Amino acid sequence: MTEKEQFISNISAALGRKTIQKPEADHRLSFFESASSINSNADQSIVDSVNRSDQLMDQMSSAAETIGWKVHHASNTEVAASIVAGICKDNNAKNVLRSAHEVLDQIVVDAAISNIGASVEVTEHQGDYSQIDVENTKIKAFAADTGITGVDYAIAETGSIVLHPRSGLSRLVSLAPPIHIAVLRPAEVIASLDELFALERSNFINDQLEGSMNIISGPSKTADIEGTTVTGIHGPLEVHLVIFKDDHIGQ
Amino acid sequence: MKPVTTNFRNKAAETLEDKQIQQSIEHVYTGFFQGRLSAASETPNWEQLRSKGKEIKDHTIAHLDYYLNLLANNVQKNGGNVFFANDAEEARNHIIKIAREKDVKTVIKSKSMVSEEMGLAEAMNDEGFETVETDLGEYIIQLANETPYHLIAPAVHKSRSEVAKLLDDNFREGDPVPDANQLTMLARKKLRSVFERADMSVTGANFAVAESGSIALVTNEGNGRMTTSVPRVHVAVMGMEKVIPSIQDLSTMLRILIRSATGQRISTYVTMVNGKRSPDEEEGPVEFHLVIMNNGRDKLLRDSQTRESLNCIRCGACLNACPVYRKVGGHAYGWVYPGPIGAIVSPVLTGLKDASNLPGASSLCGACHDACPVKINIPRMLLELRYRTAEGSASKSERSSSAKERTVWKLWKIGMMGRRRFDLGSRTSGLLLRPLVRNGWMRIAPPPISGWTLTRDFPSFASKSLKARLSKRNRTSKS
Repeated sequence: MTEKEQFISNISAALGRKTIQKPEADHRLSFFESASSINSNADQSIVDSVNRSDQLMDQMSSAAETIGWKVHHASNTEVAASIVAGICKDNNAKNVLRSAHEVLDQIVVDAAISNIGASVEVTEHQGDYSQIDVENTKIKAFAADTGITGVDYAIAETGSIVLHPRSGLSRLVSLAPPIHIAVLRPAEVIASLDELFALERSNFINDQLEGSMNIISGPSKTADIEGTTVTGIHGPLEVHLVIFKDDHIGQ
Repeated sequence: MKPVTTNFRNKAAETLEDKQIQQSIEHVYTGFFQGRLSAASETPNWEQLRSKGKEIKDHTIAHLDYYLNLLANNVQKNGGNVFFANDAEEARNHIIKIAREKDVKTVIKSKSMVSEEMGLAEAMNDEGFETVETDLGEYIIQLANETPYHLIAPAVHKSRSEVAKLLDDNFREGDPVPDANQLTMLARKKLRSVFERADMSVTGANFAVAESGSIALVTNEGNGRMTTSVPRVHVAVMGMEKVIPSIQDLSTMLRILIRSATGQRISTYVTMVNGKRSPDEEEGPVEFHLVIMNNGRDKLLRDSQTRESLNCIRCGACLNACPVYRKVGGHAYGWVYPGPIGAIVSPVLTGLKDASNLPGASSLCGACHDACPVKINIPRMLLELRYRTAEGSASKSERSSSAKERTVWKLWKIGMMGRRRFDLGSRTSGLLLRPLVRNGWMRIAPPPISGWTLTRDFPSFASKSLKARLSKRNRTSKS
């Protein structure tokens, strides 16, 4: 018997049986859902979110503000870019890193940041990637003063954004720099954690989730000294959410 | 961590006298307890969520063998390594072995109660690996060379002047001002440099999802993200009860865990880790290890009376609700898990005989049961353990009552079981104690009951019993 089998057979014995017993299907538990209902739950979550888009955006905006995001609204690409550049300027940014999220190209954020005299770089590797490259990415992230990303989802219930690190979206770009700016579009907002996990479930089960997933809700904080809340213990001290709703294309 | 559960009375008495700790620990009530209440009241389906949480945990624990097997298979499928540790020593040795093989120099830890069971940070430092706690509370405790005071707020008993002194003693960088903001920023600076050079991390796992082989980490500080992003090697440690079946169960479990712990709707970061860095990613660990530890939990599982304690999700709500914990503090309980849930888990995991005072450290008011997000009936289990310390029902070795005490209760039982014996007993006791009574109260009792009157007075026996008075009244009214 391997160590694992030994360990698990000890648990079976503690539960009063000789071998592992598969649980009987229980309709109250999502674990027992069929693959087709997992997919239809995911589709339904999208449909619900699209139908309630305006309402969810309002809820998102106020929930985000409550938990410490500085929320900005932009009605076209120029305004969005100038808000992002303005935040960089206010914080005297020199060294900006950004993700490869499409929305950042859409609002032409690079030009706006260059205009205020800061350098901006996309953390995205091409082709072969060695451990040395990984180390260099980390060094850059720790040296940056501002990190900019889009969002993969936003959760209206809690005011959170969701990021799936992958090629073009470093794990550290939203964590290591003292300032994080996230740009959000209406189609990315979903209602709650239930919808998020319904949407993501088949990806998780089929191992299509790359490495990790982060739900981010405001600035890094601690209350470990006398219960006093202080922001910026390990992650960003300041987080901005730029809500970009392009009136021209009538989203 | 070595249990010292025998010292409850002394440690509790010491804490009761400590004005500073009494003041600091207030926060668990004003901050966490009140926070949970208001979070629960703004959540419309709160009671349903609690019931659902209990259902998920009951189901999982009843099929723990199945779900652990599934979890291990899926972690391996994702390219991770799984190690099953029967006890803390096996777990510790395995993690140290990984560090050696991978030529590790610096280890960063995020908060994990299971690693406290192993005494991991201390052991790794002894082995020559620079091992640093990164949760601010844990970091403070590590500098002070103490153990955590609370499940989610390890340094809740420390004042900011104490923290300032600790940082000053350790770093000698000017004079840290006792201000929470400035102290936190000093800690940020110190820990940043450790993060940047760390090559291995050890984290806990708030939940481990069987169907996908993922672990979930809940933090406000972001150390859970740092520890899973920066180092080459990531080791996650979990108690074997932390598995849940499905990714969708997380929406229920996260909601009840976080609201019950701090009163937030969600913590700043929820990090899901599916193993090592995928080839497409910009950074992340190249190796992932999951250590699943038993360390006596099978005893809780085997026993239908204590099995429910494995439903615990370590939110700390029962500590915040407990009038005893809020006065005697976390160190009195003598092991990793304090408060009401600790009074069940510690005795079973470390030995009931030494920990016999813990189940007694409760007024059985039921506040812990009301507060528990998965509705664990803590008072029922405390009573069961009290019974065992007195009677040793499972094995005589659990029994901590003295022969004298048991004889007294045996005599008491005999005395109470018959009318005549009862009358005789109460009349004799009344007569015997009469010389000691002043103005209706006995202030100092003779041995062997002298201990009883140390902190309270004993009322004198009535000169006539209720029965005698009633029969007299009946006689007079008839005539």
